[in-house]
Amino acid sequence: MGDVQDILGLERPPTPELTKEAILGSSDKLKKKQMQMSTPKVSKRPEGMPREVFALLCNDSKGVPPVFPTDTGQGYKQMKAKLGMRKVRPWKWMPFTNPARTDGAVFHHWRRVADEGKEYPFAKFNKKVPVPTYTDDEYNQHLQAQGWTREETNHLIDLAKRFDLRFLVMRDRWDKEKFSERSVEDLKERYYSVRTILGKVKGTSSADVKPYGFDADHERRRKEQLKRLYERTQKEIEEEQTLVTEYRRIEARKKERDKKTQDLQKLITAADNQSESRRIEKKLPKKKLQQQLARPRIDSVTVESTGIKFPDMKGSGVSVRSQRMKMPTNVGQKKIKGVEQLLQELGVESNPMPTEEICNHFNELRSDMVLLHELKTAYSTCEFELQTLRHQYEALCPGKVIDIPMTSEGQPGSSTETDGGKLKTNLAEIIDVVGSPGTPTSSHLN
Amino acid sequence: MMATAVPPEFGPDAGGRLKGVTVIKPIIYGNVARHFGKKREEDGHTHQWTVYVKPYNNEDMSGYVKKVHFKLHDSYSNPNRVHTKPPYEVTETGWGEFEIVIKIYFHDPNERPVTLYHILKLFHQGTDMALSKKTLVSEFYEEIVFQDPTQYMQHLLNNVQPITMGTHKHETDFEEKKVKSLQNILNAKAKIKSEITDVKEKLKVAKETIAKFKEEISKAQSGNMAESPSLV
Repeated sequence: MGDVQDILGLERPPTPELTKEAILGSSDKLKKKQMQMSTPKVSKRPEGMPREVFALLCNDSKGVPPVFPTDTGQGYKQMKAKLGMRKVRPWKWMPFTNPARTDGAVFHHWRRVADEGKEYPFAKFNKKVPVPTYTDDEYNQHLQAQGWTREETNHLIDLAKRFDLRFLVMRDRWDKEKFSERSVEDLKERYYSVRTILGKVKGTSSADVKPYGFDADHERRRKEQLKRLYERTQKEIEEEQTLVTEYRRIEARKKERDKKTQDLQKLITAADNQSESRRIEKKLPKKKLQQQLARPRIDSVTVESTGIKFPDMKGSGVSVRSQRMKMPTNVGQKKIKGVEQLLQELGVESNPMPTEEICNHFNELRSDMVLLHELKTAYSTCEFELQTLRHQYEALCPGKVIDIPMTSEGQPGSSTETDGGKLKTNLAEIIDVVGSPGTPTSSHLN
Repeated sequence: MMATAVPPEFGPDAGGRLKGVTVIKPIIYGNVARHFGKKREEDGHTHQWTVYVKPYNNEDMSGYVKKVHFKLHDSYSNPNRVHTKPPYEVTETGWGEFEIVIKIYFHDPNERPVTLYHILKLFHQGTDMALSKKTLVSEFYEEIVFQDPTQYMQHLLNNVQPITMGTHKHETDFEEKKVKSLQNILNAKAKIKSEITDVKEKLKVAKETIAKFKEEISKAQSGNMAESPSLV
């Protein structure tokens, strides 16, 4: 309703004060609702609330608004605070002691009367780390270690107690005059070994001491690595970056080459298959002509995967034959252009008389043209690769030459370059030869 | 219409169609045009032309064609010309060339009409004014292919009457053209084929050479690593 009124530009009835209560029911109701969530309740849109906003709050499927109220205040507008519903709880200035202190000093603070006599609330945060202790016997029996004296160990345990195992601080406060310099890892290693040994010796008595295997070597290596990573110079970072990109490029090129090789293989197989299928097909048309009417249905056009796939028009119904010579829409513009050009060069009209025979041959011709084009492309790729390989080879073993056997016109021993050039001219000649004889231009076209 | 007994194998299960049967009806469509010699005063028309559809063979198309619909340019007073009897042709005068849509309907409504598009030709190619006095012919051969025709349709198609007792002739010698076109295409095909074989052969050699190169290179590389100079 609200929308329609908006669109029509009608005056809306004055919107009643919107509060969250109005939308969700009062907070009490809400609580109740949450308690009886199992009974689905269809919420009703309050008057004057836009539909979209309501949809955000309640969707029909659940009934519970997806937006959970974060406060139970008085709605959109800051209302006056509601005061004085309950009785005032009095406060009192009273003394307290902190159990964390050893001197038993007494301080004063404000506290609720009701809480008088209770323990200082922050006392529970006074945690002590259990630091192992040992007797002389225990030390002599179990804790002797290479590079650590009794005094040094005592000092370590003392520091551990004082600084609650904050090893960085402990290292800082280490008595460097009396003892030799120790790293954080050294301290940790000694401390945890002591703890573990004592835990084992004392057995059940220190059940709370879980054995903690500290791998000091690993830690040292880790820190060393981090240090190195952190201390790389800008130059080093850049070098690394270039190396990574170079690596990616090489990978990509390799992939591309592999793909090309595969495509080429496909193409060659296609060419082979095609020449075979043609041989079989050649016998068919004559038979077809003999039985002009009521001939068996034979797929008129069988075109291999590469080249052009013309529709075979086998569906029942009437059609005109020239439809079968239409280029399928999935053939690219470039290919179509190339075929048209080649047809012109060969003096073949682009819309020959659509008899069945001509139709088939014409379609096959154009498909062959596309195949030829693809083969040529593949060949030039091969040639390029051959060049690259030759350079590579020459770089590897200078002075050595591998014969590049070419087809009939290639002389063994000659370099790829000249061979390539020759081949190209040969191809051009073929086209020339094909195009030059006085091909009858169709009267049909003009 | 004579009732034809429907053979059992062509019952409703076959969709009423004779599966595997193909009937071909060759036709000629196009137009002739003749220049007045001058521009006509009252409407600026310069040519009289006739667009037509006729059977290639000597047979009466009305045996199976219900009507032929010629759609002329909208500037003609009644651009939709429908003919139910041969000759299927429209003669008009005009001054410009345009595309004429020709729709051929068949007696069996189950066979959908086929559509031909013909560009009306009035002007000779080139600017030889002497030629323009001659009648211009622009006509094309086409085949209507009835794939799996209905029983009824096949009956109509197979029982056509000759349209004339005399010789049935066309302006263009399509038989000669057919032979020529086919020969042309076959020649081109042979050339493309030989070229394909050629390139394929080259491709094979190139591939082998590439393989050889690769082998030699890997040999050379491993040879270099082993510090042994023996190669090839």
